[in-house]
Amino acid sequence: MKLLELDGVSFNYGSQLAPVLQELKLSIGAGQCHCVSGPTGSGKSSLLNLLAGVLSRPHEGDIWRHPELVTGLVMQDPQTQLLRQTVGAEVAFALENLGIPAENMLPKVQLALRRVGLFLRLDTPVSTLSLGQKYRLMIAAQLVCEPHLLLLDEPWAQLDDHGVSELLAVLRNLIAEGMALVLVEHNAAAFAEIIQHYWQLEAGRLSEGIYTVNDAPVQDVPVRAWGGAHHLGKVLVSAEAFDFCFDGCQPLFSCPQGFQLHAGEIVTLVGDNGAGKTSLLKSLAGMLHLKLRLPLKVLGRKPKLGVYGAELGLLLQRPSRQLFETNVLAEMQFSLNRFELPTARAEQMLLDLELSALAEQSPHKLSYGQQHLIALASLACLQPKVLLLDDPLAGMDKEYYRKVWFLLKRLSAQGSAILMTSHRLVEHSAVSRQLSLRQGLLAEEAIGMEERYVG
Amino acid sequence: MWVSCRRWRLRARRRWSREKQETTLCALSLFLVCVLSACAFVLPADLLLPLAAVNGLLVLHGLAHRGSIMGVVKLGVIQLTITLSLYLLLYGVDHLAQGAVVVGRIILATIPGWWLCITAAPERIGEVLSAFLPSKWAFVVAASLSLLPYMADEVREIYQIQCLRGARITPKALRNPKNWPELVYCVLFPVLIQLLKLSRQMAVAAQSRHFGKSTRATHWHSPRDKK
Repeated sequence: MKLLELDGVSFNYGSQLAPVLQELKLSIGAGQCHCVSGPTGSGKSSLLNLLAGVLSRPHEGDIWRHPELVTGLVMQDPQTQLLRQTVGAEVAFALENLGIPAENMLPKVQLALRRVGLFLRLDTPVSTLSLGQKYRLMIAAQLVCEPHLLLLDEPWAQLDDHGVSELLAVLRNLIAEGMALVLVEHNAAAFAEIIQHYWQLEAGRLSEGIYTVNDAPVQDVPVRAWGGAHHLGKVLVSAEAFDFCFDGCQPLFSCPQGFQLHAGEIVTLVGDNGAGKTSLLKSLAGMLHLKLRLPLKVLGRKPKLGVYGAELGLLLQRPSRQLFETNVLAEMQFSLNRFELPTARAEQMLLDLELSALAEQSPHKLSYGQQHLIALASLACLQPKVLLLDDPLAGMDKEYYRKVWFLLKRLSAQGSAILMTSHRLVEHSAVSRQLSLRQGLLAEEAIGMEERYVG
Repeated sequence: MWVSCRRWRLRARRRWSREKQETTLCALSLFLVCVLSACAFVLPADLLLPLAAVNGLLVLHGLAHRGSIMGVVKLGVIQLTITLSLYLLLYGVDHLAQGAVVVGRIILATIPGWWLCITAAPERIGEVLSAFLPSKWAFVVAASLSLLPYMADEVREIYQIQCLRGARITPKALRNPKNWPELVYCVLFPVLIQLLKLSRQMAVAAQSRHFGKSTRATHWHSPRDKK
């Protein structure tokens, strides 16, 4: 049964602007799974919004929808889709809008949460969930209406491997039950077992096939033999054994052995969504004020916000939050000015990253990948002794992935200690060591040669 | 006689369901907040002390619900600093007490709102408001209230990120009025941009979850988890 058809559909965000989507032809039937891939900023999310019927601007061409079609859309950033404060209320929001009686909501809400593997109290505040858990909550908030067509924007980047495998099982069942699925995904391979139709979107045009660029890293030959030599670098960050817990809560994780970061090494901190990776980075940067003082030392002193100057850099997720200047170059020069460092470094950095064309552009108009890279480059200009990065590779296509590693390797060679989080194994020759944060335990983990990048 | 009285009570209890209790309690809370906040501005100065005592009870109740009053305290300190400075400049030392009363009124008007946000779920407030407001307006109010804790976290995080980037906005740096504009364009501008983006994306999120489809929207009542 045909659910939706696009015939010669074009769309743009302004009559003066170049079209985002051009002459699209696409037909989606019940029980089908389509995957759309393409470079960052190619209009994949706009296509999903178009399919969901939530675009505010008119389009050209014909869109046919089944009269009873119910669509569910889960956008890339779950944080911006949260409308309520508790898990139960969030999932029930769609039921409220459909006028479902309150007494019939509970079983539907519980079933939707179970389907996505979220076994939480209904009164759990959404603010306490990790980004991955929030993404799953958003999927539950759509599944509760039993949509005929589900549209997912980059689930792989948001979920850990456990989350992806759980989602795969859910989606497999839903497709078998006749639900259609459209995935926008850089890493189509992660969902290969359910995808039936591959599409690539480039320069606004949709064509059959898999976009050749994906964000899976190049399988470099691991060069861990020199890992030991790196450990000879000066200790810049050290932690004695500790239990990490928020005030008045049970310990989130414990670190019985402590850990150290040495100058010149790149260490990955790998753990599932909600394991506490971001919280640990914030603690190291002095952003968290917990009653229980952690035995951490960064650059020889206890972490405190703003005492390290240019010697410590932190890049959190959603770097667009920190952008405020009118152009990219000014944005990159801001910290250099404040720390009285040569501003020429910013221009040189843009040149090195082959991003000079962006120098005069507004940072707010850049794609997610570009914003992320600019924010990272701003920090790299400072040549910090300690660099803390929160999932810097999420949602990056191969081009930006390569540039991020170029920066990290250069900083490492200059003597920076880099700690980067990820919710899956980062297989790259430049990684010196891996800290694992699993099942409430933070410990160093050997990275075997046989281990491969997931996806 | 005794038996019929028991039956009546049981029937009344059934009719007076937990859902209705919650909604009615929220409606009363909302009414109380409006009255107390209005009182903060219209009562004569000599009656502000009893009003402060009532507000004090709300603070204790809010703290018992694990609310944090620090935001209100910080707001009060900033208000007091700015207002007293202006009064000192414009009217001299003699009128400082008047400035303090003005700030006191603002704080007394703020505390009931803080208490409501702590003790009532935004969706419940939305449900109460939808009784006499168009449902879209009620949703906007409820969504805005839901957004408050998130935006408070965002403001704090953006402030901290900018401190790490070297912005002259640390408490020490802000003692110098020359650095105040930096707080505006390093923190306030990004926050406003975030708010604009967020409101647009939330509208799409609500639309994708069938907002506005039914003319008679229902309301979720969370079951209390049995331990």
